[in-house]
Amino acid sequence: MSESKTTSLYDFHLSKNAKIIDFAGWSMPFSYDGTLKEHHYVRESAGYFDVSHMGRLRLNYSQIDEINYLICSDLKNISNTKALYSIFISEEGTAIDDVIFWKFDDDLILICNASNTNKIKTHLDIHSINYEDLTNSTDLIAVQGKNAIDIVSSIMPVPDKFSTLKDDKYIYARTGYTGEDGLEVMLDTNDTLGFISKLEAEGVKPCGLGSRDTLRLEASLPLYGFELTDDISPIEAGLKWTVTNKDDYLGKDVIDYQIETKDHKHLKRFKLNAKQIARTGTICISDGVEGIVTSGNISPILGYPIGFVLFKSNPADDLVEFDIRGNLIEGNLLYKRFLS
Amino acid sequence: MSETKYLETHEWYIIDGDNVTVGISDYAQGELGDIVFVTLPEVGQEFSKGDAIVEVEATKTVAEAYAPMNCVITEVNSTLETEPELINNDPVGEGWMVKAEIKEMDDSGMSYQQYESFIS
Repeated sequence: MSESKTTSLYDFHLSKNAKIIDFAGWSMPFSYDGTLKEHHYVRESAGYFDVSHMGRLRLNYSQIDEINYLICSDLKNISNTKALYSIFISEEGTAIDDVIFWKFDDDLILICNASNTNKIKTHLDIHSINYEDLTNSTDLIAVQGKNAIDIVSSIMPVPDKFSTLKDDKYIYARTGYTGEDGLEVMLDTNDTLGFISKLEAEGVKPCGLGSRDTLRLEASLPLYGFELTDDISPIEAGLKWTVTNKDDYLGKDVIDYQIETKDHKHLKRFKLNAKQIARTGTICISDGVEGIVTSGNISPILGYPIGFVLFKSNPADDLVEFDIRGNLIEGNLLYKRFLS
Repeated sequence: MSETKYLETHEWYIIDGDNVTVGISDYAQGELGDIVFVTLPEVGQEFSKGDAIVEVEATKTVAEAYAPMNCVITEVNSTLETEPELINNDPVGEGWMVKAEIKEMDDSGMSYQQYESFIS
């Protein structure tokens, strides 16, 4: 095993007494004040996350057709000020990675999962798409929360939702992964501490990957490696809304077949009326259809356990029974998001 | 009351005559992260040394607390049902989990000093 990578903020995290975990080969802050507190900072006010472990690649605008062929969404026809969530699709119709594109007049920034950066680079190489890897020369800070936009508007101009901006210091978009409004800001590693001190002066609190996970789960957002994998298509993961690519793209025939026949795995949301958490790997059954939990935790806002479960086919019933350490615990499938 | 002793499975216990009070260590709560649910046993339930007596669900993982000796539960800290965070905030005080009558004395736990070197 090679040594864990660190972001430029590693010493800063230690100075904040962060609990450090290994995530996708990176030593990252898990929590500072505790996952639940940090969860509430974001839901009630604002928090910032060091997400510099995520891959950041600059792509040439001139290759937009070639890039568009590899994803299920329409990157080509959206305006040059937009941010786009999309998924790289394999020939088999499964997810290679879920990513964000920031579209500008002259280039595109691709942000991918840390665990998939090498996979994406190889994939781009195979398809002769050029990129400049910015992962080590920049940081990525997510500022998220109910009051995040109010707060950052004193630091920088705020773009419209799902839109991008850049100046000589910051390249950023109004996107996030918590269910709250906010910005994700890419900046030179030399400028990061200065940016963070501006945020902290406004009361924005540091948050770790622990709360990032409870926040994204509560916001019904998938995590690659859990809800999306090399073995799961966006249709199966309930992400049909991302399929907006009108042109031909890799894996399109499989995706179209799944949309037409509904003959595929089904990812569902669930809640438990119990004091047990159905965690990743928990087996369950609903209406005779077997499922496996992809992510599960407490919803700090709702106060009960929630999660995602992947079924082999679409269960007809919303009642589901989980085998939690030998005890059968009843839960319900939900057809709406966890938080309304 | 005797001194607080610790087990390799990260419980603490204090013996007071025929009774023992059990909880989990500060180190254990720190490793678990925020504790969100606690499933306590019933008063009168009998446990052998090493049996799981309490189930603790935390944001990071799930853990069980084990009986330090053969005992019968006489009291549970039902405040933990609504305030499980007491275990995080004061694990060896207000975060105690159960009191039990000792059926077979076993005071083989580690002293705090021994436990400290065990976890470091």
